[in-house]
Amino acid sequence: MTESTAVTASFGAQAGGYAHLIPLQRRYAELGVDDPDRKRQRERLISGYLPVAEHIARRFAGRGEPLDDLIQVATLGLINAVDRFEPARGSHFLSFAVPTITGEVRRHFRDYGWSTRVPRRLKDLHIAIRRALAELSQQLGRAPRPSEIAERLGVPVSEVIEGLQAGEAYRTSSLDEMLGAGQDAPTLGDFIGGLDDALALIDDREALRPLLAELAPREQMILALRFFHQLTQTQIAEHVGISQMHVSRVLRQTLTFLRHRMSNSV
Amino acid sequence: MTYLDSGTSMPNHGADSDSDESVLSLELRTTASTVSIPTIRTVAADLAARADFDLDSIDDLRMAVDDLCAMLVRIAAADATLYCTFTVRPERIEVAAETDVDDLADPLPTGSFAWRVLQCLADEVGATSVPAEPGRRGRVRITLAKDALTAPQP
Repeated sequence: MTESTAVTASFGAQAGGYAHLIPLQRRYAELGVDDPDRKRQRERLISGYLPVAEHIARRFAGRGEPLDDLIQVATLGLINAVDRFEPARGSHFLSFAVPTITGEVRRHFRDYGWSTRVPRRLKDLHIAIRRALAELSQQLGRAPRPSEIAERLGVPVSEVIEGLQAGEAYRTSSLDEMLGAGQDAPTLGDFIGGLDDALALIDDREALRPLLAELAPREQMILALRFFHQLTQTQIAEHVGISQMHVSRVLRQTLTFLRHRMSNSV
Repeated sequence: MTYLDSGTSMPNHGADSDSDESVLSLELRTTASTVSIPTIRTVAADLAARADFDLDSIDDLRMAVDDLCAMLVRIAAADATLYCTFTVRPERIEVAAETDVDDLADPLPTGSFAWRVLQCLADEVGATSVPAEPGRRGRVRITLAKDALTAPQP
């Protein structure tokens, strides 16, 4: 949070450097979706604001992720910002783009970065386990047991269990982590202690409907596959084209979100 | 199922299995607070991993125990204790958790959203309760069982 505020402030001072892009921004927003000029204008905007993305990426440098990757991720955030920005809402593009880009970089760390120091050996083992997990799931038609992974890798079961636990450390959560975009997004801390209520089934269904609608389409699908179609996480992973570990993460986050919101709606 | 009055400890669920060396029993006693839940679910996942559950089942059990504890903590009386017993059998883990409640009415949460989630995650779930009476707290107990292999749906 403080980070993105600081970045906004530092750009506020130099907003003049991007002032020439503001009218371009407005014109771009007015162009119809099919306007042949739209693509060119979009590219001009993106390349014009590129230094912003790079600046933000550099702020996250030195945390274990290559700078090139960070710049790419930040640029992706910038492209999203350009595509989603609505000048009609009256805010300056930078005050929209900076949190969007920062959020994208944070998400990258969340998804790909190790947030806890884990010994190199365990990291390598974790990578080997992930690979074995994918192969064995394919062969067995279900998630493998630790003993099956151990046999495949030729390591003791106890090491596989250690490696799996190291995987848990791949992602720890800050209580102040923002769970959505924007200044008012709830933090994980807001959710601690958020619990379900013993609603009647009917109430549940009515309360759940709008909450499910708030979820991203992929989260909705994963939830539906797991709890309505009763697919295993491994099957879902295959179906959606992401790893089982990712499915697990999405399920956990989504359930926490729903549980919290269900208890708040009473 | 028998219940002891509040203040006494968890009944010895492992008694019937003492003769069976392949059964591991583990009990946790914590304050009925959300703070304890991450520890409890981590224990559950660790037991499942060491019992060689497939990775889906390990994760399902982790989430189920999380939900189960959250349900109990929500309805627990102030300063109540949460008792969790894990019984690791061949290819199956049973979890029983219980806590004291203040409510005079039957507080079984079996109609809730969390309950439906629990039913999906575990292979068996059950809940029983002893209603509170004047001068004595009620008690709610939730049990679940999880098998080592999660069979893929056809």
